[in-house]
Amino acid sequence: MAMNPMEQFEVKPLVPLHIGGYDLSFTNQSLWMCIVVGAASIFLLYAGASRRLVPTRAQSMAELGYEFVANMIHSTAGDAGLKFFPFVFTIFMFVLLSNFFGLLPGSFTVTSQIAVTFALAAVVILTVILVGFLRHGIGFLKLFAPKAPWYLLVLLVPIEVISFLTRPISLSVRLFANMLAGHTMLKVFAGFVIALGATAITPKPYWSVLSIAPMFLIVAITTLELLVAFLQAYVFAILTCIYLSEALYLHDQH
Amino acid sequence: MPRREPDDLRSLGNRLDAARGKDTPQGGAPPSSMGIAFRFGTELGAAVFVGAGLGWLLDRFLHTSPVFLIVLFFLGAAAGILNVMRAAKELNAQAASSQATAVTEKDEEN
Repeated sequence: MAMNPMEQFEVKPLVPLHIGGYDLSFTNQSLWMCIVVGAASIFLLYAGASRRLVPTRAQSMAELGYEFVANMIHSTAGDAGLKFFPFVFTIFMFVLLSNFFGLLPGSFTVTSQIAVTFALAAVVILTVILVGFLRHGIGFLKLFAPKAPWYLLVLLVPIEVISFLTRPISLSVRLFANMLAGHTMLKVFAGFVIALGATAITPKPYWSVLSIAPMFLIVAITTLELLVAFLQAYVFAILTCIYLSEALYLHDQH
Repeated sequence: MPRREPDDLRSLGNRLDAARGKDTPQGGAPPSSMGIAFRFGTELGAAVFVGAGLGWLLDRFLHTSPVFLIVLFFLGAAAGILNVMRAAKELNAQAASSQATAVTEKDEEN
């Protein structure tokens, strides 16, 4: 039986394109990224166009998103962090909409690819490093040297460096793994529905009644996935804020 | 972002903010238990992975196998525990601050 729960994650080229030995094909992945970016742009442009005092439904949705992200940055990175509002807001909206669009039947989940999430995480970390060096110069390296006697620093500096290098990995793996696991689970349970339903044409047709049970489970899991989709976007954005605030203030709690 | 608004609207906004305790409803949504567990897991696992990977690469370039792999594996594990402790501290601080605002709100009501 051809029911592969991982098939949904396959990247298929739509417009093959090879330049100088590199595969630059336009894939279903690229298509859905364009759809996500396009949808976000159109929605925000449309919602921001009216600028009424008493907001329309779309405008108040956009304002809710704006305030949510602005509060998140303010509570973690303070006033200086608000300079990075466009950056954090873009990342938040992209991840959120990718996760939500991935829940549409037949769609492709952009954030279920480690290449995408790792690229996002790499951009975040490179920004953090750049901001840190621009703001503190070489003093940014103090981030890796907590207050301790020199013989402990020999041990602590490598630990801090590894801890810092962990960030892009944990940031990207968390988002990718959550999306991958959730969508695989949905497909596996959907497979149960078909497998149980197919018993209707076997000598024991009464088993097919059971196919309702995984059906209800799918409904429940889809609700859970909606929560996970939002939560992962939130976690990704708030960790971006926290890392930025460390680069801005060189975490003072040390 | 400075925005010009009519004064009566602004005062209404101020009163609304005061009434609902400004920062509590948004931005500080407490993460679910599963989210917390997942966060700790990846923090710990990724650090060990990065430490061991770094050691493996160093060994490859310096032909010192397996010295760096072993040393950095343990340093990676230490970094993982450090990460988890920091994440826990963050969550504690978040929980404490949200509790503090809840308490002050209660005081204001009385």
